[in-house]
Amino acid sequence: MPSVCFYFQVHQPFRIKRYSFFDIGKDHFYEDDEKNLTVLDKVSEKCYLKTNRKMLELINRHKGKFKITYSISGTAIEQFEKYRPDVLESFKDLAKTGCVEFLAETYYHSLSFIFSKEEFRRQIEMHKAKIIEHFTQTPKIFRNTELIYNNELAAFIEKMGFTGILCEGVDRLLNGRSPNYLYQPAGAHKIKTFLKNYSLSDDIAFRFSDGNWKEWPLKADTFASWVHRMAGNGEVLNLFMDYETFGEHQWEETGIFEFLDFLPNEIMKHGDFDFKTLSEAADSYKIRDIYDAPDFISWADAERDLSAWLSNPMEKAAANRIYSLEDSVMKLGNKDLIEVWGKLQTSDHFYYMCTKFWSDGDVHKYFSPYDSPYDAYIYYMNVLADFESTIDLYYKDNNGAKKMENKNESIA
Amino acid sequence: MLGWEFPPVINGGLGVACHDLCIALSKYASVTMIIPKSNPDFVVKNLNLIGLNTIDTKTLRNIGFANENYKNLEDVHFIDAHLNPYYTSKTNGDQPLNFKSQFLKPLKIGNETAEVFHISDLYGGDVIEKVTVFGKLAAKLACTLDFDVIHAHDWMTMIAGMEIKAQTGKPLVMHIHSLEVDRSGPTSKGWVYQIEKKGMEYADVLMPVSHFTGKIIHDYYGIPISKIHTCHNGIRPVVPFKSEKLFKEKMVLFIGRLTRQKGPEYFVDIAEKVLQHNNNVRFVMAGTGEYFNLLLERAALKGIAHRFHLTGFLNLDKVRQLLSMADVYMMPSMSEPFGLSAVEAVQFGVPSVISKQSGVSEVLQGSLKFDYWDTDSAAQYVLALLNDSVLAEKIKEDAYKDLEHISWDSAAQTVISGYKKFNLVHDKITS
Repeated sequence: MPSVCFYFQVHQPFRIKRYSFFDIGKDHFYEDDEKNLTVLDKVSEKCYLKTNRKMLELINRHKGKFKITYSISGTAIEQFEKYRPDVLESFKDLAKTGCVEFLAETYYHSLSFIFSKEEFRRQIEMHKAKIIEHFTQTPKIFRNTELIYNNELAAFIEKMGFTGILCEGVDRLLNGRSPNYLYQPAGAHKIKTFLKNYSLSDDIAFRFSDGNWKEWPLKADTFASWVHRMAGNGEVLNLFMDYETFGEHQWEETGIFEFLDFLPNEIMKHGDFDFKTLSEAADSYKIRDIYDAPDFISWADAERDLSAWLSNPMEKAAANRIYSLEDSVMKLGNKDLIEVWGKLQTSDHFYYMCTKFWSDGDVHKYFSPYDSPYDAYIYYMNVLADFESTIDLYYKDNNGAKKMENKNESIA
Repeated sequence: MLGWEFPPVINGGLGVACHDLCIALSKYASVTMIIPKSNPDFVVKNLNLIGLNTIDTKTLRNIGFANENYKNLEDVHFIDAHLNPYYTSKTNGDQPLNFKSQFLKPLKIGNETAEVFHISDLYGGDVIEKVTVFGKLAAKLACTLDFDVIHAHDWMTMIAGMEIKAQTGKPLVMHIHSLEVDRSGPTSKGWVYQIEKKGMEYADVLMPVSHFTGKIIHDYYGIPISKIHTCHNGIRPVVPFKSEKLFKEKMVLFIGRLTRQKGPEYFVDIAEKVLQHNNNVRFVMAGTGEYFNLLLERAALKGIAHRFHLTGFLNLDKVRQLLSMADVYMMPSMSEPFGLSAVEAVQFGVPSVISKQSGVSEVLQGSLKFDYWDTDSAAQYVLALLNDSVLAEKIKEDAYKDLEHISWDSAAQTVISGYKKFNLVHDKITS
């Protein structure tokens, strides 16, 4: 009996402002509050509230048979707390139905695994605590930033006690096999890997409103018939996508909400099919084969690798510089500095610096708050310059403070 | 084609652009170029180059106008009479040349006396009469030629273009390299502005060298967008070289006429802001113009004269010498239809900071762009390029990639595709 597993990614970064060279040393507040609020408001109205309402309605209508999974980044949750508690409440309402699972990820939606395992672990723990706090469930399954994944990462996640992990179903690694089964990462023992079925996922996420696509306009019954084709040769259909697909990337006018409204019923018209959360699927299905990903893969851009964040020298220089601060930030143990450092790790900062102009550059441009990748880099590096000098100041102060302590001791 | 500046007689970038475009275009079409002055020693392969200084009026007068397309000029009142005392608006091609001009110089041919077009300078003096006489003679001459499209470059040849269209009925394309609004600002209203406006209204197709200029044509001259077909300039390949500076400081370079349009005062302001944070830089301005003294004073007033250099006019070799030493190229133009010098900087591997009010910013992804009034951003970009070699290298590398798409051949192809798009030619031209 095959299961359909929906997983939606919810993420918003703390975008940094057009932080000028002339601000260094004067302005220690880096975020573009206004921009962050504007974007969050827009996406909340167009997507989060509307889609959450629809999901709740579908769960109720199908009496608990429609199930979905979310991953909400720590930075997104923080923004909900700060600006849109109504959105957070609507996610909590969904959590209460028992039909919704929340995954673990890095709190800052970061690339930390690549640069620091320790930081990676810290951020996962932080995120886990946040999920427990709001949704009173403990995440058992992990998804990394933009499905960045390799064998080593899967093994690390297994050691942290997770039972499942998500990644992209890359053709060259599948080598003719179907993504619609659970796999075991090469080198791991128990953890189960969920592979995104990119073809069917992207039909909804990218092609849905494409007037040049031969299947346009896509209706729920057509899509369900494609899903039903896997009967007998697959167990889990993983439809993974950005939650913003609904109402934001695909506008309401495209009919995406009507599509969503009919889809569960159309899929369940075939009696063999049901919906499961990822944990339920992990419990229900066995590992069928090994998925061997020695190199990093992801779900981003045409390349499905790290090139969306770390392909050009600017991105690499920026990423190396922020992670090189780990020791000095952590040693100070200052909560505020650690938080700023964490937020500066968010992968979006590097995504904006991407210069793959002539193909995927368009997508990068759509999301970028800046005029050019150079601007993204310059502002970011200016911020780091200020942040580094702030850290230095703390060190000077601390040494000063220690000297004072010593003096006091000697006096005493 | 109708040109004004043309090698070896050049004043600015226009002559070079016309020349290089003609050469590239000759691969796809047969090109005749009519210019005010030609030098018999200067022969361009595949190009029929005619200087009006070589055609006598006697010959022109004897040309019969049996051409069916020939029309009276009565619908072409393109010049307000009080603005142009020399122009007689009702001429008829059948009549002999019926005007006198200081720019018609007597010439003895055997026993007869004829006249040839003669101007000592392209600009200066009575330019209005110069371009008017040029227009009339070019129109007479054009009637002896077989062609499909009239292609005029800038306002100096607009009267010629209009006259030829009026007399032959052939479609008129105006290639726009620069406009009065660029040179004198948005409040321009003089004779040149008027002739540009009338010319562009009368033309069938406008080919500005950038979308930026196309927008000016629409916004300030009221020309419908539907007539506009942008054709970005190309660049002549060079063999770049690097040379050592004679000083240890970094060098930020400006190349261009020192006139309002090029925003030279902004360069001084940017220099001041940069020097406040990095004293290890010299700012060099290559070029001359009416702002020369003002800039000298401004730099002195700001106390940065020791880091500020005005070279005056430099020839091409000297300019390239500077490009081979520069660390940053700066173009703060207020209104720059294209800005070839920024592409030359790219050829020399110099990262550029250019104003968004320029055509070249549309084709150079690999550059840092600012609004010309935003000197804070410009200064920040200069500082970033000087302090951060990763950024400078990256921009250099990206700009090299842009360079692959900037050529006179692709400019010529765009011109041809424009002819086709507007149905000006049929089958005759291959591409």
